[in-house]
Amino acid sequence: MQRFATRRGICGTGVQRWRRCLSQLAQKTEENEVYVPKIPSFDYSPPAYKGPTAEEILRKRKDCLSPSMFTFYKKPLNVVHGKMQYLFDENGRRYLDAFGGIATVCCGHCHPDVVKAIVDQTNQLQHSTILYLNHAITDFADALASKLPGDLKVVFFTNSGTEANELAMMMARLYTGCHDIISLRNAYHGNAAGTMGATAQSNWKFNVVQSGVHHAVNPDPYRGIFGSDGEKYAKDIEDLIQFGTSGHVAGFISEAIQGVGGIVELAAGYLPAAYSSVKKAGGLCISDEVQAGFGRTGSHFWGFESHGVVPDIVTMAKGIGNGIPLGAVVTTPKIAEVLTRRSYFNTFGGNPVCTAAGLAVLKVIKREKLQENAHVVGSYLKDRLCALKDKHEIIGDVRGSGMMLGVELVTDRHLKTPAKTEILHVMDQMKDMGVLIGKGGFFGNVFRITPPLCFTKDDA
Amino acid sequence: MATQRNLLSRSLQAAKSRYRYHQSLRRISSAAAPELPPFGYEPKPYSGPLADQVLEKRKKYLGPSLFHYYQKPLNIVEGKMQYLFDESGKRYLDGFAGIVTVSCGHCHPDVLGAIVEQSKLLQHATTIYLHHAIADFAEELASKMPGNLKVVYFVNSGTEANELAMLMARLYSGNLGMLALRNAYHGGSASTIGLTALNTWKYPIPQGEIHHVVNPNPYRGVFGSDANQYAEDVKDHIDHGTSGQVAGFIAETIQGVGGAVELAPGYLKLVYDIVRKAGGVCIADEVQTGFGRTGSHYWGFETQGVTPDIVTMAKMSDEFDAITVSFLSLTTYIYQGIGNGLPLGAVVTTPAIASVMAQKIQFNTFGGNPVCSAGGLAVLKVLDKEQRQKHCADVGSHLIQRLRDLQQRHDYFLVDALDYSMSKL
Repeated sequence: MQRFATRRGICGTGVQRWRRCLSQLAQKTEENEVYVPKIPSFDYSPPAYKGPTAEEILRKRKDCLSPSMFTFYKKPLNVVHGKMQYLFDENGRRYLDAFGGIATVCCGHCHPDVVKAIVDQTNQLQHSTILYLNHAITDFADALASKLPGDLKVVFFTNSGTEANELAMMMARLYTGCHDIISLRNAYHGNAAGTMGATAQSNWKFNVVQSGVHHAVNPDPYRGIFGSDGEKYAKDIEDLIQFGTSGHVAGFISEAIQGVGGIVELAAGYLPAAYSSVKKAGGLCISDEVQAGFGRTGSHFWGFESHGVVPDIVTMAKGIGNGIPLGAVVTTPKIAEVLTRRSYFNTFGGNPVCTAAGLAVLKVIKREKLQENAHVVGSYLKDRLCALKDKHEIIGDVRGSGMMLGVELVTDRHLKTPAKTEILHVMDQMKDMGVLIGKGGFFGNVFRITPPLCFTKDDA
Repeated sequence: MATQRNLLSRSLQAAKSRYRYHQSLRRISSAAAPELPPFGYEPKPYSGPLADQVLEKRKKYLGPSLFHYYQKPLNIVEGKMQYLFDESGKRYLDGFAGIVTVSCGHCHPDVLGAIVEQSKLLQHATTIYLHHAIADFAEELASKMPGNLKVVYFVNSGTEANELAMLMARLYSGNLGMLALRNAYHGGSASTIGLTALNTWKYPIPQGEIHHVVNPNPYRGVFGSDANQYAEDVKDHIDHGTSGQVAGFIAETIQGVGGAVELAPGYLKLVYDIVRKAGGVCIADEVQTGFGRTGSHYWGFETQGVTPDIVTMAKMSDEFDAITVSFLSLTTYIYQGIGNGLPLGAVVTTPAIASVMAQKIQFNTFGGNPVCSAGGLAVLKVLDKEQRQKHCADVGSHLIQRLRDLQQRHDYFLVDALDYSMSKL
């Protein structure tokens, strides 16, 4: 994929100005190569599309849907069908999906096992709420809890990551009797009132009351002030607790690898030190596994495992149901008890169809060894990206783990000036070549590569 | 072998430290005890309740959170200029001035005169009626301010002043997030407790959207005296922790409760710029540093070369120029104050910011009452007449130098002494 990003990018028609951004070496390679890369072959033909065109849909969106909705690409893509790691547009053109519906589709678009589970359950019982018993929710809860270490075995089902994080924050506040929560700058945890407070990037934060959240210095090895010194960053947590709070906090929430923030890995040694400070102050540690969970990082099932910590509450969504609207909060029985103080109910949470899909996803991940695949293919892809970095000045950093990778583009490697316009150009180029990729980071200059976990080496 | 050597050298170092510590103590205790300067004044004989009785009543009626200094609490019954007298008539040199409040001196005759005279005429009527005392005082106070800072609101304490300032900042900017320094103290009410950033003062209640930035503490701060790095932290907070727009930033130029911590030089200039770009207003908490106390300037913020949008003040109304050196307190203060101990506070701001308060009713019953205003005006006059700011500079420099001498002789004490009346001039 990345190979033709450079060669095709240069060889492709009308991309003369792109040459200026690349090194001499790349140009030399370009002159010698006649290879025109294509996405790997795929033995599948999409059904013919007869629905509205991209223009019609865009017009309707502008009329009827929120003005704040945005799209990728100069010419927005009308995606109508998906199969495993590929997506098809209205013309039946195939694209390699390296973004996975924003790190959500883990088994692959319309994976047969998952589709079957959804269809079967839909034919049986689609919704009744937990006022009644049903095996789907308990089967899935059981399977999910078995994937978590320690005493993490009580599962709450929600409908999104935001809902999951909202619930986690509320439980932490109730359990400790404290109000203050610490999150990391550059984090993304959701867009409701509480989670918007925890989210820490200005463009996602509206001007509404966001009380009680303290944002610690981000342990960002690439842009952070203390480089990769995890323990130094963790001292900021101590400082915040001692000065900014009553000395006791409700909790600390973080992603193991920041997704929206641009695939930022936390500096080594940070989480254990941070968790220790927070626990000393009576707080709970919440691990936001919405993007990093379910084997995406390759080395471990959960992102927090690679840091050698065990949180008190784990939140998940996105990959949990291969795209179905589902979220979950898993915690210990003791912490879970706080919700018995009042009534807490989630109408759609844990509905039979979504939980059946969730269970099917877990089975697919296990049977098809998707975590191992993420590790092997992800490492391979990362190596190739690093090789690309050696060749091209514009690539400032390659980071991430498994199939959660980031490529940060900068116009100056020393100053780390974000390459905000260049990245849009490359993204569009890649789309034209048939590869869909994501974008993120505080400056919007980081490629986010989070494909379905069935991605192959050929795809890479 | 290496480990053993390390252990041995570490324990040797520890032993040396302990030895030096005990030597210091011995030197202090064996030195001839200094005496207070003579003072031609005899306190009135005291016939009221004694310390034990007062303590008992306090414990019974005044709440368990009320604390006091000293193992054997002091029952202070009279004050005169820089001295206090206890129930037995013993004289003490007051190096703390009622927590940076008594500026002119305990029971300064001019201030007393103004208070007594006004009390006989009119003690309270509220601002729904006119009275010259409040207007005269406001005019005099505003004349001490730089720039367009000329609208005065009178309140009854520093906490009230900071509450009002925060309200103005939020209304004027249309934003909610406030920035405050770690280690700051700005008040004890529900809102100002959010700005205050020392955990011993913060009760576990929701405190709003406050972002506590790294304290630019030259002695203990992680970036030493590098104002640029500290200012970067403020920008980082704004970019990530807020919507990109903030209500305002508040800071004491020298943190009082936090332990006389000066802000790294050049810090406020950088931060004021960053905050204003983010739509916020800059608030200078002059509750402890104002009225010439720093010696070099009338207002603390002037030492950092900035002009804030809102200035809050309280405490100081009485000047008190003598300073005691206490081995137990690691810093010294030269205190000033808006009302010499009268319950008075003020917020001074620009007409533009003040105008936002007109959208609703804001009223302070006791604020700007004739007695406190008269007292406040008398204080300002005393400060000018007796040239107290210059006096602070002189005596303060002298004291700083003596503290530094002490620092040379004793490892364990005074490891950092304020340098405020000297090099900043």
